[in-house]
Amino acid sequence: MNVSIRMIGVATTVFWVFIVIFAVSAMYSMKDVRFEFGEPQVSLTSEGDVLLFMPITVVNTGYYNIKNFNATTLVFDAESTLIVRGSTLVPIIETGMEVATGHNVTFSVADLLQKSERYLFEDVALRAEERIGLWAAEVIPVEARANVSLLWGAPLYNFALGAPQYSAYNVTHMRVEIPIGFENHAFFDLACNISVRMFDDSSSLLGVGATSVEVLQHSAYDGLLAMYVAVPTLETSTSGYFEVSFASSLFSYGPMVIYYG
Amino acid sequence: MVKVGNSSRSFAKTLAVKAVKAAAKGVVFYLVYLVAWMFIAPFSEVIPGFQEVIESFVMVYLVLIIVGEFASGSIFQYFFSAARILFVIGYMMYTLNGGVFGMTVENVSLMVDLRLFMLIAIVLSLLGLAKTMLQAISYMSEKAEPRLI
Repeated sequence: MNVSIRMIGVATTVFWVFIVIFAVSAMYSMKDVRFEFGEPQVSLTSEGDVLLFMPITVVNTGYYNIKNFNATTLVFDAESTLIVRGSTLVPIIETGMEVATGHNVTFSVADLLQKSERYLFEDVALRAEERIGLWAAEVIPVEARANVSLLWGAPLYNFALGAPQYSAYNVTHMRVEIPIGFENHAFFDLACNISVRMFDDSSSLLGVGATSVEVLQHSAYDGLLAMYVAVPTLETSTSGYFEVSFASSLFSYGPMVIYYG
Repeated sequence: MVKVGNSSRSFAKTLAVKAVKAAAKGVVFYLVYLVAWMFIAPFSEVIPGFQEVIESFVMVYLVLIIVGEFASGSIFQYFFSAARILFVIGYMMYTLNGGVFGMTVENVSLMVDLRLFMLIAIVLSLLGLAKTMLQAISYMSEKAEPRLI
């Protein structure tokens, strides 16, 4: 019996030594693993989708391989509804290796704008959750999570129509000029057609006008939209409303009602 | 008188031997801890309370080693040995939160799944416990064996 007891003792001691050495070296090894996250780049794809690209570099100078390195990005809107989820997997990062990879997340602007018109006219703070998962020393699952705020810049921020300015055009018509102003806070240049239908109080159509605007990202637009209105109808109308519609390659929205007078 | 003197001298000698053995075991264990600490020390800057958790463990474990060594030759050494093993299991489960260790530093939350490690450690500890119980049974059976007068 003593021999078997001693054998159990020897076996457990050997396993304990192995497990302690492995645990300590695995922890020490993680010290030599470096993660570098580059500046996220936002761009538009040819299909008109938003592409978030984040360069990731993993330098593994530890003693053990890293298995299943997985970067996941989840973007939530202001109501905490998931907008997009994207992940990148590197099956194995061997010791002494440097892996440079890119993490791509794509989502459609049209889909986002379908959720709420706020995204067109208001800057909204989106929440992005970054998850990094890996198997340290190929056997220890580790996961890190971080929440970052992602500011969505509205392409038609602070959109407003000014008071219509009337001028004589000919005997039958008057020229109506409507000042348009907004700021493009989006990360893309905006090329958009704006069409305006002018109505009086009794919802009779007075005139129709359209203009094309091209606004660089992070810049303001101030312009005039001209339309021609028959004199007799205009003379009876001092107030009413505009119906404004927007059409671009990324989105279509409208009609939006803005009152005047 | 001489017999009493011999007996107390023998007791003192046994005690001294046990003390030396206990000290040696304690020193060896502490050296192992110091070497291991050199490797895992950087984590104490990241994980709050990491050093305190390790030091508390080492302190209690060391006390149980020393007390167990002083109780050697009696049935109590097996009690202390079992206590040591149960302490390892309990402390591990308590500090590692059932094997899933989580912490939050500023905006980043980190989760390490050590369940596999914990499982192996618990199995090894239970094996050690079984060994201790077998030793205790063996010790008691040896004590109970009839002796020729």
